[in-house]
Amino acid sequence: MKAIVRCEVNGEALEALADPRDTLLEMLRGPLGLTGTKEGCSNGNCGSCTVLVDGAPVCACLMLCVEAEGTRITTIEGISDGNDLHPVQAALVAHGGTQCGFCTPGIVMSAVALLAREPRPDATQIRHAIAGNLCRCTGYDKIVAAIAAATAPEAGGAP
Amino acid sequence: MSEIVDKSLAIVGQRVPRVDAGERVTGRATYPADFTRPGMLEGAVKRSPHAHANIKRIDASKALALKGVKAVVSAAQFPDIRPNTIIPFGETGADLWVSAVIVMARGKVLWVGQPVAAVAAIDRRTAEAALDLIDVEYEVLPVAASIDAAMAPGAPVLHPEHKAKGFEPGAAVLPNVGSRTVVARGDTAISLASASRSSTISVTVDTGHQGYIEPHACVAEADPQGFVTIWTSTQGAFQTEIQTAGVLGLAQSKLKVVPLEIGGGFGGKITVHLEPLAARLSQLAGRPVRMVMSRAEMLGGGSGPPAAARIEIQVGATADGRITAIDGRYLVDTGGIPGTPTTLLMQASAACYQTETIRLEGMDVVTSKPRTEAYRGPGGIQAAFAVEQAMDELSISLDMDPLAFRRRNAAVTGSVMPIGTPFPSIGLTTILDRVASHDCWRDPIAPGTLPRGRGLALGYWRGTSMTSAAQVTLTGDGRVTVTMGTVDLSGTRTTMAQVAAEEFGLPLDDVHVVMADTKSSAYSDAAAGSRVGRTMAAAVVEACADALGQLKRRAAEKLQSPEADVAYQRGVFRARAGGSMTPAITLSELMRQTLTDGAVIGRGVSTKLPFGVEVGAHVVDVEVDPETGQVTILRYTAFQDVGRAINPAAVEGQMQGSVVQGLGWALTEAIDYDAEGRARNASLLDYRLPTALDVPPIECVIIETPVPGVPYGLRGVGEMPIVPVAAAVANAIRRAIGVRVTSMPMTPERVARALKTAAAG
Repeated sequence: MKAIVRCEVNGEALEALADPRDTLLEMLRGPLGLTGTKEGCSNGNCGSCTVLVDGAPVCACLMLCVEAEGTRITTIEGISDGNDLHPVQAALVAHGGTQCGFCTPGIVMSAVALLAREPRPDATQIRHAIAGNLCRCTGYDKIVAAIAAATAPEAGGAP
Repeated sequence: MSEIVDKSLAIVGQRVPRVDAGERVTGRATYPADFTRPGMLEGAVKRSPHAHANIKRIDASKALALKGVKAVVSAAQFPDIRPNTIIPFGETGADLWVSAVIVMARGKVLWVGQPVAAVAAIDRRTAEAALDLIDVEYEVLPVAASIDAAMAPGAPVLHPEHKAKGFEPGAAVLPNVGSRTVVARGDTAISLASASRSSTISVTVDTGHQGYIEPHACVAEADPQGFVTIWTSTQGAFQTEIQTAGVLGLAQSKLKVVPLEIGGGFGGKITVHLEPLAARLSQLAGRPVRMVMSRAEMLGGGSGPPAAARIEIQVGATADGRITAIDGRYLVDTGGIPGTPTTLLMQASAACYQTETIRLEGMDVVTSKPRTEAYRGPGGIQAAFAVEQAMDELSISLDMDPLAFRRRNAAVTGSVMPIGTPFPSIGLTTILDRVASHDCWRDPIAPGTLPRGRGLALGYWRGTSMTSAAQVTLTGDGRVTVTMGTVDLSGTRTTMAQVAAEEFGLPLDDVHVVMADTKSSAYSDAAAGSRVGRTMAAAVVEACADALGQLKRRAAEKLQSPEADVAYQRGVFRARAGGSMTPAITLSELMRQTLTDGAVIGRGVSTKLPFGVEVGAHVVDVEVDPETGQVTILRYTAFQDVGRAINPAAVEGQMQGSVVQGLGWALTEAIDYDAEGRARNASLLDYRLPTALDVPPIECVIIETPVPGVPYGLRGVGEMPIVPVAAAVANAIRRAIGVRVTSMPMTPERVARALKTAAAG
């Protein structure tokens, strides 16, 4: 038996047909084909599946798809405007803040959520904001530097 | 030409963003779990709940009867592979039997989590339901879940048919030893007896995990004519092809491996795990099959973790601090299959020091645990944790500054390596001089209310060469395409684009690098052993020169000039001629005019390059809470000689990533096996990787001492910087609280216990 989930994903209202046992992550990656959101642990420990639900960063693996009914969801596919990168994305490119890239979509989502509530975060605030996103390649330095730079005026300023 | 390192380089040596960064930050990069094929099935693996048992019977009839199940496999669907079935692989070859047993248990299970069957079904839930319907009857056997348990008198013998190698005739062979290796020069017993000072240290290291964030995944598709394509996440496409073809009994002409993006490997994605299962299931079902490992499977025996170890080191010195003996015994936990090599880690542990005498004895010990696999400088971390603590303790007993002690004994170009041959170019003393003059060493430790200490440790990794192939072709507008036979594990597309742009004198944007599948490039070894940057760069340099030679002949024809009089620079061929009118043709014009005259194909193969040994020194300040045992990293500085940094940003990324990964195993990471060999913490909640809050910024100091005979003088980069991390932290803890912590990870519990034991003793 399938459930119909009505929600807004990346600005578009849609009805998704999903198994009611599926997580939001499974619905996004499966029927909706939004594979930019990654599955690293299925337990809410790695943050690779971070999406915004009504603006708040959430591990999509910890939420059932039926709980998304009536919400506004933003995934990594909804962050850049076509090929125009969001300042966080542009800064990650410029500062070497992505290596294998698997954690990167989740990092972008956490950083976008941080800048929405704190436009000029310091390094400690940045580290707190991405503490739920495990990265095994970078040692975090270049990610922190990139997010800090994304807030600078020359990077286009905070959103 | 490129061997002259001081020539002014335009692009090599520049900090450039990764050429594939855009697709990564937008979520468009495709990893195999993101990849789909029409009609694709989902696969799942049934794993052993026992660490040692005979498989009496497997009955899959109920699973096959479940609606939606399309195929089930167990050992019966794979050819029998015997031990010592050697396949070409890296420097030494590999035993296909090891891969076969990792992929599917045969008659006997050797660790918890070893596959015993696999299913393909219309969706993941159906596949998982089918696993429960497969009936496996086991005869449970006694377990030896640690080095101590496996070597104890009366221990269950895990491979009764295995003959331990490396023992002298008539010598008593300990139970479950895979093989024994000895590296010796002079008589350490005599040197230690006459040494003014000596120190001995025994350490244990728990099993860790590489912790790549992307779980193993692949998609396999067998077509009706028997050709199999596998899209996967691997460190070596050709290695996946060789192993998979071998395990399946398939001709390699019938198998193509397409490497997709790899979400971290660190040594754990060289041996195949899922690929042969997915391929066989696809052959049986007649449909594509995707398999994705869960994190619980990965940490619970589905992937190969780095080895636990037990190491004892004794070092001796004269009263004025000259090392006279290094004597070490290394027991390495190979897990359920013998054969984890010990020689590299033994040599790595002693290589930074000159010594009169040396004796290193290593054994791999079979236990009822997952077969260990490579992890960034395999064994180097464990070995440095022992020897660098022993050296530090010796400097304390000599009352010498730990840096001055190491400087006094540091290996130099031409000094004797542990294997007895002279050291090639090595910049260790340069590094130590840089440490001495750096703030991280000169500044006093920032004051705090809790005890603080500063630790120093050296690291060495030999690195390898192996073989790489590249092909350079030209587009109709004179742009360059590089097709490389290795996968891009660490930014290789970017660094090789830099190399090709440098060789052609073109902007980076005029070069495109393709990561080839196994049917569109020639054989290349895996992205492992700190080799791809060097060996692939050498291949690309050769392929560019070959292509430019062919282009020059064409240009000579067009310019109606003898070939010897044509020179190429920055996209333009010029003929030498008198007067002001120099005949010239641009590369793009030449290609426009001659594209249809036949292809230009530049061939590059590099193999057996001179060693580019990696050395470095790490300095760390820590704070220790004596009450809780909590260790906080305050400051960290990593020094490394990389020969030349093709892309300094990428080099820093490797160094910073290594250090933080090393801090994980140093302080928190261990797979907690119970006495029955079951992992009790198979999740990232309980197997704790460092977060952004656990680590300070990692400062990197890059030193460039080029390697003669290698393009751009390149050394390996990616492995060495994890080697000294745990040792540096241990030495800092010792300086902070006066107590050595000799078990890794150095968890708060262990630090607090070490303090308590010292206070009681």
